[in-house]
Amino acid sequence: MAIYQRESFLNRLADRMGRARRTEAVERPKWNHQPQHRVLSGLSQDDLVEVLEKQCAVIHTVFRQTSSSSLADVLKEVIASYGGKQLITAKDARNETFGLDQLYHQLRADGVETHVWEAEKGKENQVIAERADIGITFSDMTLAESGTVVLFHDKNHGRSISLLPQNYIAIIPKSTLVPRYTQMAEKVHRQIESGQAVGSYVSLITGPSNSADIEMKLIVGVHGPVHATYIVVEDR
Amino acid sequence: MGIKIGSPSFKERVQEGVENEFMRSAVSSAQGRFRNGRLNAAEELGNWEEWRSLGEEIRSHTLENLDYYLEQLSEQVAKRGGHVFFAETAEDANRYIQEVVKKRDGKKVVKSKSMVTEEISLNEALEEVGVEVVETDLGEWILQLDEEPPSHIVAPAVHMNKEQIRDTFSEKKGYGASSQPEELALFAREQLRQEFLTADIGITGCNFAVAESGTVTLVTNEGNAEMVTALPDTLITVMGMERLVPTWEEMEVLVSLLTRAAVGQKLTSYITSITGTRLDGEVDGPEAFHLVIVDNGRSKILGTEFQSALHCIRCAACINVCPVYRHVGGHAYGSIYPGPIGAVLTPLLDGYEDHQELPYASTLCAACTDACPVKIPLHEHLIRHRQIIAEEQERGPKTEKWMMKGYAKWASTPAAYKMSSKMARTALKPWTRDEYISNGPGPLKGWTEVRDFPAPEKENFRSWFKNRKKGDE
Amino acid sequence: MNVSLFITCLCDTITSHVGKNTVEILERVGCHVDFPELQTCCGQPAYNSGYLKESKEAMKQMLRAFRDSEYVVGPSGSCVAMLREYPKVFAGDPEWEEAAKDLASKSYELTQFLVDVMGITDVGSTFKGKVTYHPSCHMTRLLGVKDAPMALLSNVAGLEFVPLPLAEDCCGFGGTFAVKSPVISKQMVTEKSAHVIETGAEYLIGGDMGCLMNIGGRLRREGQPVKVLHITDVLNCQD
Repeated sequence: MAIYQRESFLNRLADRMGRARRTEAVERPKWNHQPQHRVLSGLSQDDLVEVLEKQCAVIHTVFRQTSSSSLADVLKEVIASYGGKQLITAKDARNETFGLDQLYHQLRADGVETHVWEAEKGKENQVIAERADIGITFSDMTLAESGTVVLFHDKNHGRSISLLPQNYIAIIPKSTLVPRYTQMAEKVHRQIESGQAVGSYVSLITGPSNSADIEMKLIVGVHGPVHATYIVVEDR
Repeated sequence: MGIKIGSPSFKERVQEGVENEFMRSAVSSAQGRFRNGRLNAAEELGNWEEWRSLGEEIRSHTLENLDYYLEQLSEQVAKRGGHVFFAETAEDANRYIQEVVKKRDGKKVVKSKSMVTEEISLNEALEEVGVEVVETDLGEWILQLDEEPPSHIVAPAVHMNKEQIRDTFSEKKGYGASSQPEELALFAREQLRQEFLTADIGITGCNFAVAESGTVTLVTNEGNAEMVTALPDTLITVMGMERLVPTWEEMEVLVSLLTRAAVGQKLTSYITSITGTRLDGEVDGPEAFHLVIVDNGRSKILGTEFQSALHCIRCAACINVCPVYRHVGGHAYGSIYPGPIGAVLTPLLDGYEDHQELPYASTLCAACTDACPVKIPLHEHLIRHRQIIAEEQERGPKTEKWMMKGYAKWASTPAAYKMSSKMARTALKPWTRDEYISNGPGPLKGWTEVRDFPAPEKENFRSWFKNRKKGDE
Repeated sequence: MNVSLFITCLCDTITSHVGKNTVEILERVGCHVDFPELQTCCGQPAYNSGYLKESKEAMKQMLRAFRDSEYVVGPSGSCVAMLREYPKVFAGDPEWEEAAKDLASKSYELTQFLVDVMGITDVGSTFKGKVTYHPSCHMTRLLGVKDAPMALLSNVAGLEFVPLPLAEDCCGFGGTFAVKSPVISKQMVTEKSAHVIETGAEYLIGGDMGCLMNIGGRLRREGQPVKVLHITDVLNCQD
């Protein structure tokens, strides 16, 4: 919690700019141009789902859509399509709301190891995530324009879940959809202004990992997941 | 590595680049992809110019108030359990990081891509204290194994072909499969996954730090920055001091500009915002977080007419449109920052002595200025550099200086000017064949080595104009 | 309209027919054209090489020459772009700042003048041939003239137009760059030449003689049959 050599450093900057240090609150100006707010504005949630679906094709992500009553079945299908034998998911109240606890119970009975990330388990969670072949999480906010899942991690939802396994499934309640990054940033900014701290880790995930570092050929699946599926679900 | 790379002779480096056929065709096709990506992304957005203007506003405001925002950033990081070290020089930064690593008893570092760490030669400093450093960005890992510097700031190994990469993997890591990119990438995934899991220290650069919350945001497609920040217990983020934004709202604008201008994507696969150390009960994320804010010559640029060069968000859009870069490649610039932004920044950070050719390696076509998502007037900075080099520091060749003096006289003395224009055709007659000169004298020699030069036309314009007036009267 | 011709030192010395074309075109559309004899060079060769002091000597000469002009029109985007930089160069200079602002505000490249000031997109010319067009960097990016040349060419009777691939790429002239950096310039002009050949055009048209001399000189060195013309050659053609 220490800060080193700040004063001499910042004094030098102010000096270079020919003025005294600015330590009083600097106000952000009202930007003359603000095009970001107009992107995809005025669209309904259903419209945004359509935008998301189109975007999934571009980002090598499988798109599924279902009602809340059928979610468990669709999820089971997707898990099977990935040949899932070891699953890891976050401890999330929505597991119960959407009837997934039951599904996981059933899967365990069928011999599919299904782990829920639990803070008490500590480092073991990471080891399990490393061994898992599928990571499953709900999306906390979903950016339609780019096809992006936003995850606000906490002690019950480790980064490793959506990062280490080869396959990633994001369950996207329709209400989480917003036009683009702008709305997410605005939300976090307001939170911070109101005194609420942001979590230690916030992820924006757009499909599986990829790279074009070898002869500019796009390779899907590098360090993060190789496959991704988004399941949009009607809210409960 | 430091800023300088390659042989000290610019001419040699250019010649090498021009002769490297594979590299040139790779760079040309990469440029084409990147350029189209940016143009398509811009078109899709629909009002790209507005976005660029907003980007410029944000960067201007931030740099004008850099001391304020850096102070706010450091306060917020400290509030979240992080340590902040303000490093005036590369040596300061490296020394601090060496100490941190020693204190944390670090043996292995995994790094995500960071230009500033190359600039300060961090890897060498770590190896000095017996720490193993593993680059994890695919292109950077390949280069690390090959012991080569990057040639592009976003696609560092763009100059290598897959056979060269396969050979590197097989020589250095016992790779036995084909040169197919998918197989090479799979091998990298397996190898590096082990490194991620066994490393005790993670080191990243910083795409954008957010002052209001002490957040560091990293933008990748591979997921390596995520591994580096989630798995090891210690995280060190090295940040060029100008790489910050006031709030999350500006951060999303600049990330959106970066991903489109760099690779034509709306967003990359991973955008990760890390704030301080992991919280109680969390498993992923670091226990100890250190933010190292680096000056290393950037403050010299503040308060000068070059200040807007610090607006750069390292997207490489300028590099991707530069025709000079296309023909000579990144290494010819002799700096880890190549292309137009490299030609502007390198003399500012590392002096004119070793880099005076860079501002002249340009036709001032301004394609870079046009492409820059935050509207840095790159070509204007190049002209200013030339003024400093030629006039203020008098580093230009003596012959050139004399020619320019002659030019000034000629261009300000109408009598001399008119005379030379009248005499030009006659003067060049000895070298003229069929109204063209193929092997010219003096200043024309360089020209005619590559192309023909037209002989001055028979009828001088001024005589024609005078005579027709006479004819009318 | 009273127009003073800014002929540019290249056309003054080497390609005088471009100056003749320009005068004739302007007269044909109803302008009265005079030629201030004191003009020399816009200053670019020295300015772009970093010799500000020397470039200012040339610039002052130009400011003297065009002091009394109403409009200054020249057949070169690059040279006119330089004139428009004069206010920046002479900013804060009590003796020359006003004149610099005045000249910058009344200077135009020919196609820009025809289309944007006179509102003319058809100069009544005919040119039979397959043509491609190289948009010079300084004209498009520095002066901002992108549409005027094409607007005029599209109304030339008999002209068959073929777009040039990657037209916006620099030809490698860059003034002194062509001589100072011959290795790189050669690569750039060779690439541009290849694009021109690709089009199958009989003629390469452009608005800047510097570029045209560069590309044309290279095409000739390569033994290519493509003929290189300035846009005024086409706009002044009536057969």
